[in-house]
Amino acid sequence: MASVPCQPLICGEITVSNCETVREAIYQATMALDDQKWDDWLSLCDDDFQYSITSFSPEINYEMTYLAANKKDLRHLVDLLPKHNTDHSPLHRHTSIYSVSPSEDGKTATAVSSVIIYQNMLDGTHSHVDAGESRLFLIGRYFDTLKLEDGKSTFLKRELKLDNRRLDKGSHWPL
Amino acid sequence: MAARNHNQWMAKPPLQQGEWIDSRVYTDQEIFEEENEKIFKNTWIPVCHESELPKPYDFRTTSIAREPIIVCRGPDNQIRAFLNVCPHRGMMIERRPSGSFFEGQPSGNPKRMTCMFHGWQFDMKGGCVYVSREKEGYQERLCKDDVGLRRLRCEVKFGGFVWVNLNDKAPDLESWAGKPFECLRKSLEAEPLEVFHYHKAIVDTNYKLWHDTNCEFYHDFMHYHNRVTGFNDAYFARKNEAFDNGHIVVGTFEVNYDKYEGFESRASLSFPHLPPNQWYMIDLFPGINFNLRGSALRCDVVTPLGPNKTMIEFRGFGLKSDSKEDRMTRINHHNSIWGPFGRNLHEDLIGVQGQGNTMSPGTEPRRVLHGRQENQTIHDENGMRHYYDEWGRWLNRLPSSPDKPYTAPEAEAVTAAE
Repeated sequence: MASVPCQPLICGEITVSNCETVREAIYQATMALDDQKWDDWLSLCDDDFQYSITSFSPEINYEMTYLAANKKDLRHLVDLLPKHNTDHSPLHRHTSIYSVSPSEDGKTATAVSSVIIYQNMLDGTHSHVDAGESRLFLIGRYFDTLKLEDGKSTFLKRELKLDNRRLDKGSHWPL
Repeated sequence: MAARNHNQWMAKPPLQQGEWIDSRVYTDQEIFEEENEKIFKNTWIPVCHESELPKPYDFRTTSIAREPIIVCRGPDNQIRAFLNVCPHRGMMIERRPSGSFFEGQPSGNPKRMTCMFHGWQFDMKGGCVYVSREKEGYQERLCKDDVGLRRLRCEVKFGGFVWVNLNDKAPDLESWAGKPFECLRKSLEAEPLEVFHYHKAIVDTNYKLWHDTNCEFYHDFMHYHNRVTGFNDAYFARKNEAFDNGHIVVGTFEVNYDKYEGFESRASLSFPHLPPNQWYMIDLFPGINFNLRGSALRCDVVTPLGPNKTMIEFRGFGLKSDSKEDRMTRINHHNSIWGPFGRNLHEDLIGVQGQGNTMSPGTEPRRVLHGRQENQTIHDENGMRHYYDEWGRWLNRLPSSPDKPYTAPEAEAVTAAE
């Protein structure tokens, strides 16, 4: 769908750009994921939300999908986290929004962001030595589609396209 | 007994030889070097899958025991393997992980492997076809026939995997691993497979600890998913079967995937000739795993990088004939458990990392117990016992006391705790 320049929206007494609401949603998602506030993150997502983590492998020449989930799948995933053993080292995302492109009808927008995810070691390889150190965990881009409605943006789709194929221990958490 | 003092801690466990090993087998640099020389340079390793080089002139690069390897598909559709080393001055011929020689390179012609350093060129059979300024430099003393690549034993087998052996005189692949593959041969060879997943992990642990985790299922207590989908009478009746050459096969049972919240049965996409929701595992010496959970096949291959550093390459496979929709379902089935963000793999890797921490080089030697005896069923540790007996033969070292030469487990009586 063709995109158009950002348009002003009336939000109560404040006029904001529809692109601003997209940026706000992406940064709110970053903070909710960083803080492991999974309910807050899912509340930013539409009921039809589709999530995936992908990467291209030159080794096998294949566009890979490492994780694919709808909102219901993600609900199961986060609800079951307490039952699973996991690395406790928190992840922190540095998200930089490169572009926001509203659709012609003004109902949706796409956004492309760079994301760098650091792991602040708690477990580490040896917590006595590693805890407190931050290590680069993953690099990629978010390709987001958001619904623009009632002066706010909600996620319809997020693809995290990773550069990495070396993933070491991986993670149980949504990224 | 309460917690033990040092002497008690170091005492031999009240188990028979073969039912425990000494942790130095995981930490000693000399043993690691011996393993590379005596085991990895003499055993068959599946370095990639034929679907990774589908067209003539496609190639993949890899390594075994530090030796760089190139695998390429010739215009005759044959897949061959060579040392990825130029016979001139030892430059690595191809540096990329994969690609095609169909197009020319800055230093060379199309359809040739070209060493960029001095422009020597080789065909897909490893023959040297061009030496830059050959006559001017070598006159009649050396010619192209003298400088072909080092050809390696290579077979495409057991579902299209490309196997390489650095030893020209090693037994053929069928006699090395044919018997353990019998349980899955029909399923893997009914139609072509295709790789859809690749990722690697480099973890600070010994490669055998990863293979141990693939060989024992007692650790299913770590996996919530496996407990709720598995723990029933049929699960506990699964057999661990030992085969010659240190291989084992873990027998199948029907997994109840829908017992895990949000998961579904995999019955509709079972591999050919496989009953619904079955789960077979083949563990090949010295560190290769084939794991078929009904609708998706996983293969792990270890590359030891040091006594306490291991690279594990993970691949996932479906059928080449899959529709787009079926392929996506298989990918989801594979990755929801075995992907880097799946339910089990993360936990397995945390487990072996924890072992790597406590058994890093320089730590006090520990005794690692492999003594569970349950009539060779799923929580019996006979798979690991079988593996380490084979390991001891290859290195002529006793796994429970690696400074001593190998003796068969039966040779030593039960030793009580001191």
